[in-house]
Amino acid sequence: MNTHYLLPNKYKIIGWFLFIPGLILGLLSFFENVDDDTITIPVLSIFYEEFMGSSPRELFAIITTGILSEIIAVMIIIGGLLIALSKEKIEDEFTSKLRSDSFVWAMIVNYIILLLATLFIYDMTFFTVLIFNMFTPIIFFIIRYNFLKLKSNSDEE
Amino acid sequence: MKNNIKVQRAIHDFTQADLATKIGVSRQTINAMEKNKYVPSTVLALKLAKLFKVNVEEIFQLEGNE
Repeated sequence: MNTHYLLPNKYKIIGWFLFIPGLILGLLSFFENVDDDTITIPVLSIFYEEFMGSSPRELFAIITTGILSEIIAVMIIIGGLLIALSKEKIEDEFTSKLRSDSFVWAMIVNYIILLLATLFIYDMTFFTVLIFNMFTPIIFFIIRYNFLKLKSNSDEE
Repeated sequence: MKNNIKVQRAIHDFTQADLATKIGVSRQTINAMEKNKYVPSTVLALKLAKLFKVNVEEIFQLEGNE
């Protein structure tokens, strides 16, 4: 079937090794208020505007900043994509269907929750919602897909 | 759509795993089809018919208002 965009099965395990530690680190740094400046290096910023600052906007500037949150986000996103886009051990049309059904489900659920959050959550709390919303589509997908897979595994003949 | 894959499988004395290997899918796929939870593609239906040496219609039938 149309699975030419999928990676070999071995990438799935690499995905889990990035995704789970990424999630744990992310939650820890969020709830424990870890300083983003724990790791600070110079980075390339395509468009830089200091937060509440007076210095002019810069294009392609080298700035020095904390990158802990960037590392965490990259781990979750790359890990999540590797999990979502790696083949099963036996990849066939049924697993393709489970995968696409799960993508649709995750997309719909994510937007319903975002819509409710838009209507009922305000100010800085909404900013927190946006941070979580960076990752919820892939998280919802992974949960739904593995739930469907487990379900098809468990109802035996 | 209903099917009699389970019956055909019994006639040929295949387990779900045997059948899965022969047509190149996972055992879960066979299980989902037998439970009417998954309608296979035309390609897969034809592969099953070829393996069981019957017409596709003898394995798969439309139901009521389909």
